[in-house]
Amino acid sequence: MSDHTQADEIQAGAARRRQAIEIGVLALLVVAFFIVSLLRQNPFDKDADPTKAIGLIVAAGLTFIMFSFLYRDNPLFKAAEHLYVGVSLGYAAVISWREFLRPLVYQPLFEAPTAAAFKSSLLHLAVPVALGFLLMGRISRKHGWVSRYAYAILIGWGAGVAIPLITNSFILQQLTAAIKPLQDVVNEQALGAPWFSRAWLVGVAGPVFGALVAMIGTVAVLFYFFFSVEHKKVGSAVSKLGIWFLMVSFGASFGFTVMGRLSLLIGRVNFLLGEWLNIQNK
Amino acid sequence: MRTSQNRPQHYELIRRIIYVGIALAVILSYFIDYRQKFTPSPESKKVFDKVESLSPGDHLLISIDYDPSSEAELYPMCLSLLRHCFKKGVIPVVMTPWPGSVGIAKKGCDEAAEDANSMFGKKVVSGKDYAFLGFRPGATNLILKMVDNLKGAFDKDYYGQPTQGMEALAGVNSLKDIKLLVDLAAMGTVEWWIAYGADRADIPMATGTTAVMTPDLYPFYQSNQLIGFLGGLRGAADYEKLLEIPGRGERGMLAQSATHVLIILLILGANIHMFAGRFGRKNEGLS
Repeated sequence: MSDHTQADEIQAGAARRRQAIEIGVLALLVVAFFIVSLLRQNPFDKDADPTKAIGLIVAAGLTFIMFSFLYRDNPLFKAAEHLYVGVSLGYAAVISWREFLRPLVYQPLFEAPTAAAFKSSLLHLAVPVALGFLLMGRISRKHGWVSRYAYAILIGWGAGVAIPLITNSFILQQLTAAIKPLQDVVNEQALGAPWFSRAWLVGVAGPVFGALVAMIGTVAVLFYFFFSVEHKKVGSAVSKLGIWFLMVSFGASFGFTVMGRLSLLIGRVNFLLGEWLNIQNK
Repeated sequence: MRTSQNRPQHYELIRRIIYVGIALAVILSYFIDYRQKFTPSPESKKVFDKVESLSPGDHLLISIDYDPSSEAELYPMCLSLLRHCFKKGVIPVVMTPWPGSVGIAKKGCDEAAEDANSMFGKKVVSGKDYAFLGFRPGATNLILKMVDNLKGAFDKDYYGQPTQGMEALAGVNSLKDIKLLVDLAAMGTVEWWIAYGADRADIPMATGTTAVMTPDLYPFYQSNQLIGFLGGLRGAADYEKLLEIPGRGERGMLAQSATHVLIILLILGANIHMFAGRFGRKNEGLS
């Protein structure tokens, strides 16, 4: 037997042992989970609300399965991931039917109380429903082209509505705010306050400094993305300043992202301790 | 020895130690009976002050643009806002343009209504003291319709009651009759509500968003298109502190701080390790 084959067999044996240990630990964890669940949220208890208890146990189990990804990607995680997508879609479909399609489309057309009501509904709903069905043409490769008519209307109408509103809200109003005169940012009551007093610092110096930083940052970042002139000498310095502003902005975004992700973890831990294990914090 | 991803094998161990450290910081914080002191941010205070300035009978519209995956950050905000409205007699009008958000929106309304009874001794009833309009599709089209005719966009509420003649919506014909619009969002809907709703109807708007989205709100705050905003769990904690009703937001602040300190220490430790290694290699090269 060659050295290679022997090494492969040793590796395969180690992998099998590791897999057996992992399955054993998983089985123990599952048993421990059910024991703890039954102790803290017993659905068979005469005072318990079985629906709520089972819901909590399922939610806690799925939370642990999702956290198992931190150890390694695994089939349970994949199953839970697919379950999440499926449940979300199923829930959205039921709500869409119950809240919208049934009362606003199905009932007026198929459960109209009078012929006049049916005619009126047909008049109002025929075009939108037909366009909706055209969109479903995407399902078929052969007949997918019919959806283009619905998309053409969607895009044309959407762009027509969006362009003036977006221009006003995201360009004109932002430009107005960016070029605001300095006297507009200061607190007029603080103008008479002695220099370097708290009122002056908060009402005058702070806002003016902030406005100047915003102005310098806007110009520097815009210049960084202005490629029509070569960034040399002064241009290079302004461009580098723009990079610094961008880096600070990315750092702030990253910090907020870390905070957001930790908030989600805190939410899950609070659920596991407070609701599943029923441990009340003070 | 390096793994298939070309990383030293002990990195896997270090990665897991970091996870355990973060988990321990969060779990231990849950058991510590200590309320962290903090000052609410000016952005959060402006939202609170605006709601506080509303008169009983005024309408505040809350759009629930998040699903259960963002519950940890946004649900405490929703609860605090609704409690504040019920405390002051302001009428909240709650709706969602997302089918997946209906359940969590209803949960918020039900819980806050129960709290109004237990906390303020007020019996709050749907259709009279608040309106839960449920879901309608259309996204931006829905907002455009609401600006022109709110009751046309929602002809019935979630419970099937006609909005025409509903006591809670008396005097509200369009979005223009709303005194404050609040978008609680985990998706990119803040821009929709600004452009298609608040700017067009010319009404004040505030938001509560996940921390990830918060940095993008500052330009709108600076241009006064937003009167203020609640950013992430910290924003929720701010509002709870201002309302003086502690909740999940305030409780989460200690865990948040503990994990931040841990992350800062880890960054410092990793940098010291890197520079020490570099310095050691340099010295070895010299000798």
